[in-house]
Parts: sequence; structure tokens; C-alpha cells
Amino acid sequence: MEEPSPSPDPPTNQFGSLNDLAHELASLEDLATRGSWRSILDKVSRARSLNLLTSPHDHLIYLSYNVLAFSKLRRFSEASNEIDTLDDFNSNYYKYETYPRLYPNRSGSMIPFSLRFIHAQLPIKLGNRQEGLDRFYLLLKFIREKIKEKESNNLRDSVRIWKRRENSILNCLIGHHLGDKEFSLCLDLIKDLINRDYLDPVLVSKLGYIQMQIGDIEGAKGSFNRVETMLNEKRSYEYFLGEVQFRNLVNRNKALVYLVGKDYVSAVREYEECIERDHTDVVALNNKALCLMYLRDLSDSIKLLEKALERIPTIALDETLVINLCSMYELAYVNHSEIKRTLNNWIVHVAPDDFDASCTRV
Amino acid sequence: MSTAPQGTHSLAFRVMRLCKPSFHVDPPFRIDPADLFVGEDIFDDPLAAANLPPILSTQLSKSMDSSDLTYGNRFLLQHPSDAMGFSGLLLLPQSFGAIYLGETFCSYISINNNSNFEVRDIIIKAEIQTERQRILLLDTTKSPVESIRAGGRYDFIVEHDVKELGAHTLVCTALYNDSDGERKYLPQFFKFVVANPLSVRTKEITYLEACIENHTKTNLYMDQVEFEPAPHWSATVLKADELHPAYNSSTGEVFKPPILIRSGGGIQNYLYQLKLASPDSAQMKVEGTNILGKLQITWRTNLGELGRLQTQQILGTPISHKEVELQILEIPSLINLDKSFSVHLNLTNHTDRELGPFEVRLSQDSVHGEKNVMINGLQTMVLPQVGAFASSDFHLNLIATKLGVQKISGITVSDTREKTFDLLPDVEIFVESD
Repeated sequence: MEEPSPSPDPPTNQFGSLNDLAHELASLEDLATRGSWRSILDKVSRARSLNLLTSPHDHLIYLSYNVLAFSKLRRFSEASNEIDTLDDFNSNYYKYETYPRLYPNRSGSMIPFSLRFIHAQLPIKLGNRQEGLDRFYLLLKFIREKIKEKESNNLRDSVRIWKRRENSILNCLIGHHLGDKEFSLCLDLIKDLINRDYLDPVLVSKLGYIQMQIGDIEGAKGSFNRVETMLNEKRSYEYFLGEVQFRNLVNRNKALVYLVGKDYVSAVREYEECIERDHTDVVALNNKALCLMYLRDLSDSIKLLEKALERIPTIALDETLVINLCSMYELAYVNHSEIKRTLNNWIVHVAPDDFDASCTRV
Repeated sequence: MSTAPQGTHSLAFRVMRLCKPSFHVDPPFRIDPADLFVGEDIFDDPLAAANLPPILSTQLSKSMDSSDLTYGNRFLLQHPSDAMGFSGLLLLPQSFGAIYLGETFCSYISINNNSNFEVRDIIIKAEIQTERQRILLLDTTKSPVESIRAGGRYDFIVEHDVKELGAHTLVCTALYNDSDGERKYLPQFFKFVVANPLSVRTKEITYLEACIENHTKTNLYMDQVEFEPAPHWSATVLKADELHPAYNSSTGEVFKPPILIRSGGGIQNYLYQLKLASPDSAQMKVEGTNILGKLQITWRTNLGELGRLQTQQILGTPISHKEVELQILEIPSLINLDKSFSVHLNLTNHTDRELGPFEVRLSQDSVHGEKNVMINGLQTMVLPQVGAFASSDFHLNLIATKLGVQKISGITVSDTREKTFDLLPDVEIFVESD
């Protein structure tokens, strides 16, 4: 790649706003948060054809958004092909020091980390699970080497960032193993996270959910008790959790224990406390609706989900919630296609590009 | 699954199996802004490290604000564990699934009035029909539902502990007056098959080894596997010491790994040591059939869904009750070829009466052919009577006629009327040259 001449920005303005980080990044980011992934594909395509991208990091960031957009739209082959247009991630082409005039006094990789993550997850979505898992474990090894390297060079901020990446990748791996019912592996990975000091009430709660999924109810109760202890011992901000979120987490955990014991009335009560505290707690809303159904109140469970979608669509519009609502429609109405079609039409107007509308089974 | 008759019915049954819901899990494509806006090593640059965080955190906090009306939560990682894609959202069962003996069948039944008119005096029944019996789950005959309006619904939930294998039919019937005053009868049938979840094989002597094999399509969490011994027996479960207790010193807690039997053929073994509760019950042993007890098995699947089974009575092999027992107490450590050596033996009388006199000899057993270890001297040794529950020590002179590893075999004790009491099990010795 030829080294273009540097733009005349003085160094202090490099980090003023998003647009200083990459060409029209603010617009890309805005589109992404709206879920307008198709528009992002258009924007990237346009920027490329009009040669609007000048520096190497611009190209890489735009490529990352493109790959992410394809992935969100479930166009996994196209995402994979796009990544394949790159050289090896660790190539010198993608290092700051290769372009000293553009990036004075900066060294290291300019690859956005999300590319590595997406590169590992894509094979799994394409049905090649073993390849994906291999890539994830190699990525984990790569991250750990980076952490060691940054630690030995005393780069505290980098260490923090790479540790956060390690945490996310481990969590992602747990999710994949969980989906395949490899429970012992999940428990081992969680142990690993706890031993590396990534102990946190949300993680311990998820450990509880896994134990429940297996059927180890006593183990789950133990984990939930531990979460409550954590709530009482430390201030919530020390766990990067808001006070309201922490309390709702505890209530939701209690509700699950009641649910498993078939005490749906008490479970509903716990969820109502959550909703009262935070009317956007979609997990509480969804799970309360299910409890109402197990209490033989199909009508109210349907109403609850419909109202949630109406009131807080940007939070409640979740494929799982919609699947639940459609299952309830199928039970409640002999001729359920009409009502499902109405729901589907509404979704088409409101939903982001990445919403998988096939969940309505219309 | 449902077979409804043709015809103009105002009512229709809708049925959904209500096993426990499941947690939804699907790792998403969600990103932290620092992994997308900038290169991965940019934080090595102190200028970037100082100036970037405000920009990045603004993006994140915007998306977490409840007044934010964008779909940022579908794209940004707000908490590292969001990457797991496991938020605790529950999903209703999406299919009937498999059902196994020992589980509880639970179903939501909704009877809909999809006509434009009210129906009245509805008698609703729900039954489970198997090969062997008909079980009533619900019957509103005594208090019929007064009416169901047009477009209305009457719901109920039924539960049934599955105790039979094979074909089951959920029979739902409604007897009602339609808008013309005509009394109509609507039957609907929902079929399902109950399969065997486990097979239990046992092998034992005074130890009982049970091998449980999982035939279902899901992993089974073994909640309790208990052996209930028959009267006269006591049972202790034998467990290997835990190899790696997941002990976390920083949290000071033990994280107990669950016992999970893998789906589709996984196996878990359990070992019990059985003891007779009292010596008097030795009589029970002699009297033929030997009932040891039953295994009670409780397992859990998704979200603690419970299953329970009990085995039939497990029988022990009829124990040969030794009235008289021969044992070797001591053999010399050095045994030379063609040189007599003395073996120290013990004879015990396990009965409650005096027995004997006894004869100890080497039985002429053609199966083993020629013996290489023989009694030296008189071929029959006579021992005097031994009292009830008493024992007597004696020595036997033997001689080995071949080198190397040889067997002392065929030493038998019998009474003077040729009734054999006991055969000493084979013992190996090493014969050296002088």
C-alpha cells in the first residue's frame, strides 16, 4: 500500500470527536445504532467507489463495518469473503510503524479487534463449528500473549483493554459450548474466569442459570446466594453495574428459583418488583408473561407481551420474545395466521435490518 | 398430532405441552466501541490512551440510557458477559419433544369458541388413554361451564405422572349446546409415545454395582440414586474420592461438579456395599431367593424438570452358605523342588452345632490333570470334631514335583460320610531348585 501524505490536522485534535478517528465515523456509528445495516453497506460501497478513504486505518475501519453489517444481516459467506480480501492480520501492512509519516510515534497493530472476533465466530454461523472453536482458542492464546507483552512494557491502559477482550472472548466461548450442551466445559471456563479475577455478579448469575439448565437446582441456589452476598458486600459500581440493575438481577434470580419449584405466583411477584423499578427490564417482562401462561392466564400473558412491544419497541423487540408471543397466538387462536400477519407487518415497519423476521413463522 | 372430526363445530381444542421453558442462548455479533473505531494496539500510544476513553464511553452510555430510542443494545457490548448471548430470557417449548417413563406430562388445553355465537352448558373432559387404562384428568360434569362467548376461550392445565410405556392418547371432549340449541359432542385426540429413559444392569456378590445407561436425547442430571435395601440388609454407597474438588481459595467455596449422564447411551456406575443387618439373618441367606432391595432413581433435565423411577426387586445370586470353611494361614516363603514343606491351615465351623470328625485330602479331579503339588505322607488327614462357631488349626505336609509357578489345588475337607464341605481355592507358589 502506498503511503499517502498526512492530513494537516495538528496532533491535539486527533481525538476530538468520532470523525477524527475515521472518515465520517459518526455517521457510520449512527447508522449502526439504528440497526440500518443495509445503509452501512451502501455507505461503505460509496466511499470506496468515490475514493473517499485515504488512510490505511480508514480502509480497515470501513472494512470492519462492512463485515459487521454482512454478519448482522446473516449474510455470512459475504462477510467471510470480505475478511479474506485481507492479508494475514499480523502482516506489516496493518502496523502503524509501517507508515511513520501518517502515525508518528505510534506502533502496533491497527487492525480493529472486532475483525479477529468476527473471523472466529463466522465459521460457527456457517456450520463449521470445529473451525470456529479452533479459531477462538487460538485467538485466546493470542490475547494472552498480548497481555503478557503489554504487562512487561508497563502499558497499563493497553493491559486493561486486552484483559477486557479476554473476558469477552471467554464469555463468548461459554455461550457456544452452552449452545452445544457441553456443560462441563462451560463450568470449567467459568472457573477459569473466576480464577482470573473476572468475578462479577452477572457472571455468577449466569453460572446459576447453567446449573439450572443442567438440573442442579441446589447448585444454582448456591450461586444466587453468592450474588446476593456480593450485593451486600460491595458497592454496585465496583462491578460496573447500576444499583437498579443489580437489584433487578437479584430479584430475577429469585424468580427463577420460584419458577423451577412451580411457584409461579411468587415468581410473578418478583418480576413485578423488577418492572416497577425498571419498566425496561425486558427479561422480567418476558419471563413474567411465561409465568402467567403457566398460571393458566394465556390472555394476560399475550397482553403483557403486546404492550411491551408497543411501549418500548427498541428494547422489547427481541426474537425470543416474539417467538414466545407467536407460540401463545398459536395456542390461543384456531385461526392464528391473521394475528401473526398483523404482528409481522408491524415488525417490518419498526424493526432494525438485523431482526430475523422468520421468527414469526408466518 | 391432533385428529379432529370434520363438521361444523363452534368449539375447537388447542393443546400445548407445558414442560419447563428453556433458556435462550445465542452468542451475538456485539462489539465494544474500542474494538471497532480504532486499531487494537492504539492504547499503547499514551496520547490515545488519555484522549480516547471519553469518546468511547459516551457511545456506550448513550446506548444504555433508557430514553435512548435506538437499537444500540443489539450492537454494542454493554457488559462483557453480553458476549455469551445468555441473558436469562426464557423460551416456551417449541415442540412436543420426547417424553419418558417417570416424567410428568403437563399440558395447557384451551377450548376456543371460533364461531360468531355463544355456546352454553359445556361439559369438558380430559383423559389419558393407554393400552391398559383410562385415566380421568379433568371433568366438569358436576359443574359445567355456563357459557363461552363468541371468540372466547376456556383454559385448563392438566398433569399426569407417566407410569406406562408406549402409546398414550390425550382425549379431550366437549359436550355443549350450540347457538341453535343443538347438543353437540366434540372429541379431539392427541397422541404421543412414552419411551424408556434408562436401563439398569446390576452385578454383585456382597457388592452391588449398578450401571445406569441414558437412552434419552438430553443429558440427565442425577439428583439422587439411592439403594433401598430389603429388610435384613444394610447398604453403603462407595464413592471414589473426588480427584479435583474445584476449590477456589479466593472465594473459599467448593464448587461441586454435577453428575451428568450424557444423552444417547451415556453410562454412570454406582457401587454399594451390602451387609447383613444381623448374624441371625444368616438363615435368610440359606433359604433360597435372596432379595437385596431396589434402586430409587431421581433425575432432572432442563430447569429441574423431574423424572423418577424405581427398579424391580434386585435379586442376589443364591449365596452358597459355607457351613465349614478351609483357609490357608501361612505358606513358607521358600519352597524347594522335591522337598517337603508345611502349610498352616485353619478349619472353621460356621454352624451352631458340633461337626466332624473331618477328612482333608487332595481331590482326584481329572480336569486339572496331573498335580504338581501333592500331599506328602498319608493322603488323608483326619481332624477331630470342631464345636459350634469354633475353629481348629492344623498343618499339612506338601511336596512340589515341578519347578516354577505351580498351583496348590484340590485340597478338600469332607466328613467321614463323603459329604464335601469346602474346597480350598487354588493358591500359587513358586518352586525353586535346591
